Amino acid sequence: MTRSTLLTRTAFWLTLAVALVVFLFPIYWMVNTSLKPSEEIFLSPPTFYSVNWTFDAYFDVLANRPLFRYLINSFIVATGTTIVAVSLSALTAYGFTRFKIRFATAFIVFLIFTKMLPETLLIIPYFQLMSKLGLINTYLSLILAYSSFALPFAAWILIGFFRSIPTELDEAAMIDGASRLDIFLKVVLPLARPGLVAVAMFTFLLAWNAYVFALVLTTDADMFVISVGVANLVGEYQVEWNELMAAALVGAAPVLVIFSILNRHLVEAITAGALKG
Amino acid sequence: MNPTNRTAAALPAPRYGRRLKWAQRRAAAAFLAPAFIFLAFVVVFPLGQAFVTSLYRIRGLRSSFVGFDNYVRTVTDEAFWSSLGTSLVFTASCVAAHLAIGLGLALLLNRVTVARTLFRIAFLMPWIIAPAIGATIFLWMLEPQFGVINYLLQSVGAISEPIAWLGRPWSALVSVILVDVWRGVPFMMLLMLAGLQTIPIELYEAARIDGATPLQQFRYITLPNLAYLMIVGTTLDIINTIRHFDIIAVMTGGGPVSATEVLPVLLYNTAFRANRLGEAATIGILLLGIVLAFSIVYIRAMRLDRDGGRD
Repeated sequence: MTRSTLLTRTAFWLTLAVALVVFLFPIYWMVNTSLKPSEEIFLSPPTFYSVNWTFDAYFDVLANRPLFRYLINSFIVATGTTIVAVSLSALTAYGFTRFKIRFATAFIVFLIFTKMLPETLLIIPYFQLMSKLGLINTYLSLILAYSSFALPFAAWILIGFFRSIPTELDEAAMIDGASRLDIFLKVVLPLARPGLVAVAMFTFLLAWNAYVFALVLTTDADMFVISVGVANLVGEYQVEWNELMAAALVGAAPVLVIFSILNRHLVEAITAGALKG
Repeated sequence: MNPTNRTAAALPAPRYGRRLKWAQRRAAAAFLAPAFIFLAFVVVFPLGQAFVTSLYRIRGLRSSFVGFDNYVRTVTDEAFWSSLGTSLVFTASCVAAHLAIGLGLALLLNRVTVARTLFRIAFLMPWIIAPAIGATIFLWMLEPQFGVINYLLQSVGAISEPIAWLGRPWSALVSVILVDVWRGVPFMMLLMLAGLQTIPIELYEAARIDGATPLQQFRYITLPNLAYLMIVGTTLDIINTIRHFDIIAVMTGGGPVSATEVLPVLLYNTAFRANRLGEAATIGILLLGIVLAFSIVYIRAMRLDRDGGRD
């Protein structure tokens, strides 16, 4: 190896390492702080690794806040949203790619517009309507609100996936006398599975991480989803930083673990969502 | 082209054509209707309601129709323009940084041959964490007295005494921008990485044989091949950033003295702190206008306005 390639190689790995440290440091700091005993938080200089590490902060915050309840709420709402968005968008994607649609362009443009609506604009009518319907503090209100952005997104990605499934398969099945619904359920859906999985995961993550709708549509502390539950601890009297970081980790860990394992699907959905499926 | 027409020979004879067409239409409608009816309820109707709300002055339980009065008041209100300015600064800085750093990281990752997936997961993590939760981590790191950022900056001598990052207008804006950069880079990085992987390696080999320097290769091969993705990705990122609410809401709530009050935060504060739903809806409709303008750029860039987005 010549000296110059050694030099570029070193520079390359050094840059990558620095970038990695910078981007992951906040996550490390969350973990590190959450494991500190209370006395250690206000040490200066701060400890980068606590030898007295403990789970006390977790026990303390869980004793005072129903974090597990928040996780369950988030799970119910995100799952509900995913089911609504994926099932409706699969039907749409099938209909859109299997039939000649007269206003195809208008349809696509409509989907894109809805997927780009500022959610802060929609919280006003949602707040008014849900108050009127008495649906504040219900899972239903959150699932409906989240579907407003999840469904267009899912439909958009799935149309791309469904397009890549050859229509000849449908035709062959049709000659064999299969109905449209049979074809959809038994021919196309199984073939679209990778796409469906990617979309489902992405929808779930969008719903899990969403904040503003839940902030407005839930007032009862038992109905908070995890993002609102954690953010609401900020600046609260009696909540120490190590407890806040423990709560943040409880909120972040489930998705970090799931999506690290299934990252391939997630990456697929992200790129497909930005471009064409 | 209707896919079923291509196999017309195998399907019912032409004289049934008309009935077939009707059946086709009914079937198409059956597949498309559920999502559309649903979207009408969860998007179109609320949107209409938002517009109607923007025409009313609402104070508590009293509301009165005022026509476009809220619009006149909003566009003559200095708070709106200052918020728009903040939004533009926030969005422009964030998007520029997302793109530059995202592209840089993508170029690095594209050359990594070992543990690619692991690197990709690591860099994706900031994006996976809920922005509202990520913001709480930074609140702690930016804490003036015990926060690690002040400590690190002081120990390398970059600052002589602790900074109250979120307590002063300029540094608060810089802080929320940095947090959004941390969160938003992975998305751009992924897009750029996807783009880089589609560039044929032969192009680089040929360039190297011709004696092109790495910089020239970047300028004449990488950039032109990525241009499309960069335009689409940037437009999408602008749309996502200008409507972003979570980070700022959690970190500063728009303060201090409105220094970080971007349009979505102004909207929220107007609606739920000042209880002025009519004015808030007006801000929302104006924000929608801005987002729609960029959506049109996105649709044009992707040529979706032709052919329903078909390749």
